Amino acid sequence: MSATIPLLGIETEYGIIRDEVDNYDVVEESMRLVRRCEMKSEFGNWAYSRERSHQDMRGFNVRSLAQDEEEDAFCVEDRKRPYSYWEMKSDRVLENGARFYNDHTHPEYSTPECSSVFQLVAHDLAGERIVFECARLRNQDDEPGRVCIFKNNTDYIGHSYGTHDNYLISRRLPFENWVERLVPFLVTRQLYAGAGKVGSELRNDHSFSGLQLAQRSDFIETVLSIETMTQRPIINTRDEPHATQDKYRRLHLILGDANMSPYATALKVGTTRLILTLIGEDKLKLPVTLENPVEDIKAISHDLTGTIALKRTNGKTITSLEIQEFYLEIADKNLSGQCKESDWIIREWARTLDELKHYPEKLADRIDWAIKKDIFTRFIESEGVSWDDPWIKSLDLEYHNIDPERGLYRGLEQTGDLYSMFSKDEVQQAIKQPPEDTRALVRGLAVKHGTNKIKNIHWTGIEFTDGAFIDLSQTITSADLEHLINSKKEQYPWL
Amino acid sequence: MAMNDPLRREEKKDPTPNKKDTGPSSPSVERPGRDDILKRMKRVDPKQSENYKQRTGQ
Repeated sequence: MSATIPLLGIETEYGIIRDEVDNYDVVEESMRLVRRCEMKSEFGNWAYSRERSHQDMRGFNVRSLAQDEEEDAFCVEDRKRPYSYWEMKSDRVLENGARFYNDHTHPEYSTPECSSVFQLVAHDLAGERIVFECARLRNQDDEPGRVCIFKNNTDYIGHSYGTHDNYLISRRLPFENWVERLVPFLVTRQLYAGAGKVGSELRNDHSFSGLQLAQRSDFIETVLSIETMTQRPIINTRDEPHATQDKYRRLHLILGDANMSPYATALKVGTTRLILTLIGEDKLKLPVTLENPVEDIKAISHDLTGTIALKRTNGKTITSLEIQEFYLEIADKNLSGQCKESDWIIREWARTLDELKHYPEKLADRIDWAIKKDIFTRFIESEGVSWDDPWIKSLDLEYHNIDPERGLYRGLEQTGDLYSMFSKDEVQQAIKQPPEDTRALVRGLAVKHGTNKIKNIHWTGIEFTDGAFIDLSQTITSADLEHLINSKKEQYPWL
Repeated sequence: MAMNDPLRREEKKDPTPNKKDTGPSSPSVERPGRDDILKRMKRVDPKQSENYKQRTGQ
């Protein structure tokens, strides 16, 4: 457990279709999917009044958040629907402390706040199973076609949706310190965190074909921005800590992919947390500075070897692998031996970079893009088609189908030749129970025991119909949680 | 929830190469399960990705 980075979370927007039906309404499908959830939950009472999405880390507020013209037009039509925006959202808070809702047109699962990487990965998998169960129930309804859900980030024609990893960090350091030390790491972590994508969605460059490392890299347009639907940044500057404002920031990273492989999720979040720990503890000197990280993130994604030369501001060049090795060395030197989880992350990080360098075929049991490369290459050889054949892009999409009867990753899981992280029982536990050592426990217990007594609910607190309020904004560590429970136990016996 | 299972499972795995001892060795990458997945891949509609349209998310 890292005291420097005490809380972690992942938000995943899923792709949704109704197969074999023309002209289905994706807003309706997403809304009905969330409403079909049979899990114990608090419905329709998310406290939007506690959201502050317009504050920027750089010290100003924006009047509104932007979206592209196509989405503007969709929203005009959405306003004609026979239900309100809030009804469309269909917010649920589940008894495991997670939030599950319709984020405009995508079912979104936000994990409860977790204190450890493995705990978080289990909850990310729990979300996948919960969303699939809703699809299974929807497919029992008497409606034509079949609902299919994809844990990915693109429709291959320029529409992207996000998987955001979140870290609670200290406000003590200036935001610029985090940015300059993080950017080279973030643009290169796709070497193992990329989910792989067939083809390119770059607006002005159609020359690339084949497999690239990451789904999201084509959509990154700037280093810093508060936006999430256009002008997507390497580091999002939304200043909404969901915790005491003067002590904490929430680092909201929107550049990452949805990983099917839990190992890749663990490595992505685990390495990022280690780097944030180094920065937070002033143990990371200023690393290499890249001349153009926004161009680099795309170029790195198009190079499966990690050897492309990237321009530094000092006139020299460096490869993406070398940048990752730089960070690994400092993490190993400063953080090894502190806890078993960190040791696992450092060891697996080293093994993965080493195998990428010497035996990249070995990554095909745990790194999404490498698994895709292996199975798509076998398919291409078997069927005599090329990487440009639309069939390969369809396979790419089906890799992310979360249906165990259809999805390619889910199918490979059943063959037993992928790296396994958790048993079914452990994922089942995360479906039903919140983390025991974070404030999500209070939220989950309130949902479980406080039915019809909750007026509104949020990451930062729970307001009850009798006017009482449990403030969670200062409950960050397990000691804070213990203190909160002890102080409220008499009032709320279910705690 | 004490999620330490990956560590327990790790102890059962073959020892991973020490990052300081990365000398050449023959990679063992036989994956018999991949033949089974080929059958599932052949059932995928080749046009599926062309019909897959989403609205922009975050």
